[in-house]
Amino acid sequence: MSRENKPRALYLHVPFCRSICFYCDFTHRVYRGEDADRWLKALEKELSAKEIRRDLTTMYIGGGTPTSLTAAQLERLLTLLDPYTGSLQEFTVEINPETLDEEKAAILKAHGVNRASIGFQTADEKLLKMMGRRHSFKDVGNCVSLLKDAGIGNLSLDLMYSLPEQTMAGLKKDIEAALSLAPKHLSLYSLIIEDNTVFGKKGYTPLDEETEADMYEYICRVLPEKGYRQYEISNFAVPGYESRHNLVYWHYEDFYGISAGASGKEDHCRYDNTASLKEYLQDPLKKEITPLSKEDEMFETVMMGLRLKAGISMSAFQDRYGISFSEAFSGKAAALLRKGVLVAEGDMLRCAGDHYHLLNSVLSDLL
Amino acid sequence: MDQKYIRNFCIIAHIDHGKSTLADRILEMTDTVNERDMKTQLLDDMELERERGITIKLNAVQLSYHARDGHEYLFNLIDTPGHVDFSYEVSRSLAACEGAILVVDSTQGVQAQTLANTYLALDNDLEILPVINKVDMNNSQPDITKKEIEDIIGLDCSEAPLISARTGLNVDQVLEQIVTHIPSPGGDPEAPLQALVFDSFYDPYRGVIALVRVREGSLKVGDRIRFMATGAEYEVLETGIRNPREVRTEGLSAGDVGWFAASIKSIKNVQVGDTVTSVEKPAKEPLAGYRKMNPMVYCGLYPSDAARYEDLRDALDKLQLNDASLQYEPETSQTLGFGFRCGFLGLLHMDVVQERLEREYNLDLICTAPSVIYHVYLSDGTMLAIDNPAKMPDASRIDHVEEPYVRASIMVPEAYIGAVMELCQNKRGIFQTMEVIDTGRNTIIYELPLSEIIYDFFDRLKSCSKGYASLDYELTGYRKEDLVRMDILLNGEQVDALSVIVHRSNAYKRGSGITIRLKELIPKQQFEIPVQAAVGGKVIARTNIKSLRKNVLAKCYGGDISRKKKLLEKQKEGKKRMKEVGSVVIPQEAFMSVLSRDDEPRK
Repeated sequence: MSRENKPRALYLHVPFCRSICFYCDFTHRVYRGEDADRWLKALEKELSAKEIRRDLTTMYIGGGTPTSLTAAQLERLLTLLDPYTGSLQEFTVEINPETLDEEKAAILKAHGVNRASIGFQTADEKLLKMMGRRHSFKDVGNCVSLLKDAGIGNLSLDLMYSLPEQTMAGLKKDIEAALSLAPKHLSLYSLIIEDNTVFGKKGYTPLDEETEADMYEYICRVLPEKGYRQYEISNFAVPGYESRHNLVYWHYEDFYGISAGASGKEDHCRYDNTASLKEYLQDPLKKEITPLSKEDEMFETVMMGLRLKAGISMSAFQDRYGISFSEAFSGKAAALLRKGVLVAEGDMLRCAGDHYHLLNSVLSDLL
Repeated sequence: MDQKYIRNFCIIAHIDHGKSTLADRILEMTDTVNERDMKTQLLDDMELERERGITIKLNAVQLSYHARDGHEYLFNLIDTPGHVDFSYEVSRSLAACEGAILVVDSTQGVQAQTLANTYLALDNDLEILPVINKVDMNNSQPDITKKEIEDIIGLDCSEAPLISARTGLNVDQVLEQIVTHIPSPGGDPEAPLQALVFDSFYDPYRGVIALVRVREGSLKVGDRIRFMATGAEYEVLETGIRNPREVRTEGLSAGDVGWFAASIKSIKNVQVGDTVTSVEKPAKEPLAGYRKMNPMVYCGLYPSDAARYEDLRDALDKLQLNDASLQYEPETSQTLGFGFRCGFLGLLHMDVVQERLEREYNLDLICTAPSVIYHVYLSDGTMLAIDNPAKMPDASRIDHVEEPYVRASIMVPEAYIGAVMELCQNKRGIFQTMEVIDTGRNTIIYELPLSEIIYDFFDRLKSCSKGYASLDYELTGYRKEDLVRMDILLNGEQVDALSVIVHRSNAYKRGSGITIRLKELIPKQQFEIPVQAAVGGKVIARTNIKSLRKNVLAKCYGGDISRKKKLLEKQKEGKKRMKEVGSVVIPQEAFMSVLSRDDEPRK
């Protein structure tokens, strides 16, 4: 593969947490110091074995909880990544409020981290406790100050809604609380209870569909009024502060996936690195590779692209696949355009108003 | 083999009294099946039978038994179904035997089907060997059971073996009694051929295989034979027995139970109950015929994928070979397109056929709710037999409507009499009489509309009697009732496949029950859908399916793509199994929703 075709984005998964959140089904292990040390050694091996381009545009360290590492381990991690950070435009680290301190904030800044995504979830202490979170709203405030003081001002907050027992009034309070911290970016996710989570095993049920829909409509209406433009199903930003790294996913571009539990996409293949820390320590390059057919790629381009409010560029689609969108989805696309479910405006093809909230229905019609 | 060393018999029992288990033991103890091949309930070789623990298809196997008198005997064991729906098949297998082993569970005693099956066997002049089963259980009461059999049925039980089919205890006594008590078959091997077809199945390579009991004469490869009722003639290509695998033989003669193949392509030519004779030396008369059972329950079967209509026809053709009681004819529904109206002996039978079609023939079906045949008398005096509610004429043309009634005998322990009577009253039952069988046990007789029984009566009877009550019913005739057709409208459009005939006094309750159930079953769509029930154009119940407002994946980043795509594919797959009626997408289960009853909590 020529250098030019290599991904310009990198995702790194830190598979440790200080505690397990009840809604989470990501790869995670409760943090143990010696595990993390061994993991850093394996990571070094993986990075040197992979020929990663050095002029990456975006990098995202997620998890798990990257800040569950000690300051020394965090320093080591970021030092391993230094060779690749020279031309980054956006370098994000996910942060759990209670695991950040001044020292760690300084380390992040020193290695070029310029954006942080903070797990806010909700301001309701009772709900936080029920979710297995160990922070409070006050911790989030402290965390924001620590980051701002360290010089990292581009902050995003992650909120969850449709939580068991949550009310509309509760959601409004959460949004007010989040806005009081003046973040540049907000992600709001409705709770999905997966079977393999603590919630799933305890038999929690999400809120009823109507309340969830009310909440979503409220969010989509209020946040733009406060200056946060919706640019994706669950993402809102002050214009200019959209997540460049995440846009790589939604534009269906390639990206490196590094470390246990990460997935990547390179050269018409998707790969899932082993999710088992034990396996990763033995063989940091162990992964499952899925080749992607042109049909896969075309559908996935649409599946990801229509998540964006702006939609997908039809000329980019044509350039990439040598076939127009309407030809690629012959019949199906025409019917959706005719019914006004999809709208073509200039070069952009997007979901029409109401149908944006029903994207799954639209996609399953295209499948 | 000399006829005097042949024994043809079957096993009859109430459901769960241990018939299949005893058959397994007999197969083992006669060295017919080596242990490696032994699966529990070997005779029930259809996947479905094994799963449900019921015997649907009868099956004939030949066993060889070395008796205490020093001789080698050939046993032909014919398995019979035990459920009330399958009495036709029971009667077929009985006619091929000289004797029957009557298995009675000593923890339960004589049950409704013990009686029903015994009477069927006595009608066929079979020698009956009572056997007391499950004597290894703590709550076994062999003496009381014996006395019951003597008192209720009138069979001498002084020699009845006390067995445990599960452990094999005393099953050897059963084998000996088969030799000593069941008569050997008669018949003259030199007489003109008379062979009774009691079952058949289709083999894609060899055509129809007929299972026969040779009454007179003999049948061998190369013979030209004729089916006496259909007149079809063939040359016999193979004959054989099953042990339980197919084994070829040179021929079959009087007294034998076996099969033959004759490259029969037209399945219509092999009617169960027909007599096979020789073309060269034909018998003067066919054997006394079977009483053909008539279906009591009808429903529409449609392929989900309209393109598979012919496949469904083919599958039904083949299934009918195995299951003579299944009837069907083409019908058309505005909603569901081309399909078949099928007749069944009962609800279980209907269920089994649907599952076999889906499983064995890989079809995806939409089934409408079951219906009985209504007699609709028009103002001009003509009578229409209506097996599909959608075909009920306009009320203005109808003089009156009659519906079928059954006489239901419910055997029930005293403690549950109240609950059972309440159930029968709720189902528009008319109390007839109550007979005390013995201390603590009674038979309650009710006249009930068949339409009430075919829904969920059996399940509810079991639940209100903690499983103790048993039901047997027979059609008694038609009665005039105030019956009306109730239509269901979705988004203002009438869905013919959802129409149902109800008693006017129940219409409102049923209408709201059905609309509520439909609301639960039909997934939300992008617009609000009114669901209405109407009688004679007048809406009597209504509810709304709210529109779908949000259907998105909350999180979808780089690592989520494959998982989320699978989710979409699953949604898509689910949608494929639904039917589009106008602009509304309806799942298959919805067509059965008319079964939902308002008077019970939803399961």
